[in-house]
Amino acid sequence: MGMEKNKKRPVYLNLFKIRLPVGGVVSILHRVTGVLLVLALPLSIYMLQRSLQDPAAFRDILARLGTPFGRFAILIVIWIFAQHFFSGIRHLLLDIDVGIDKSAARRNAWLTFAASLSVVLLTGICL
Amino acid sequence: MRRARPSGSAHAGLTDWFLQRVSSIYMAGFVVYVVLSLSISPVHDYLAWRDWFAAGPMRLAWALFFLSLLVHAWVGLRSIYMDYLHPLWLRFGVLLLTAFGLLALGLWSAQILLMVPA
Repeated sequence: MGMEKNKKRPVYLNLFKIRLPVGGVVSILHRVTGVLLVLALPLSIYMLQRSLQDPAAFRDILARLGTPFGRFAILIVIWIFAQHFFSGIRHLLLDIDVGIDKSAARRNAWLTFAASLSVVLLTGICL
Repeated sequence: MRRARPSGSAHAGLTDWFLQRVSSIYMAGFVVYVVLSLSISPVHDYLAWRDWFAAGPMRLAWALFFLSLLVHAWVGLRSIYMDYLHPLWLRFGVLLLTAFGLLALGLWSAQILLMVPA
């Protein structure tokens, strides 16, 4: 009987209809950035291989990374990596019950954004 | 109520969970080491870069890094697929592509590690 009334219950989570708290946003971003990092792997491994091939290829890779587009791409990839890195550390800490209560979890979620943006800024200054 | 589906071997989820943590800790440590090492003594030319890359234990450390990366990517992607890819044929197909893709990337990185002269 109870089942009949509930015919319209959602059978999956529609991410666009849920207003996520910041912890949820960080959690989803951990997945999105993870997928993006995997997609960036072939090009990264290719560039690593070229850079180790011979001096000319090494200079070529450096020159490509030094163009405005190259620098921009580096910053984007570093942001994606740093966000994944810091939200990953947050998850590891949650595993051992660090920052597990609501306010601390929320504060640490914001901290991952602050940390990843700081890394991007620092890299931008160094580039 | 519907009968609960059997959940596979009881330890499999824990193995995934454990592998994900161990690989992440290794990679985090390795990346921090790489960033610090290259910041303290930057390499400016090909030979210095190659020497830094392949010197002594570094090559082994890179090998472990690539291994961790593949394991980590596999466990992570698999759990995403299980959440969002519902038709079984689709999930299976994408898993198969992912498995071969990651294996290919692993063999490729192994080739790089073996071909760089010491």
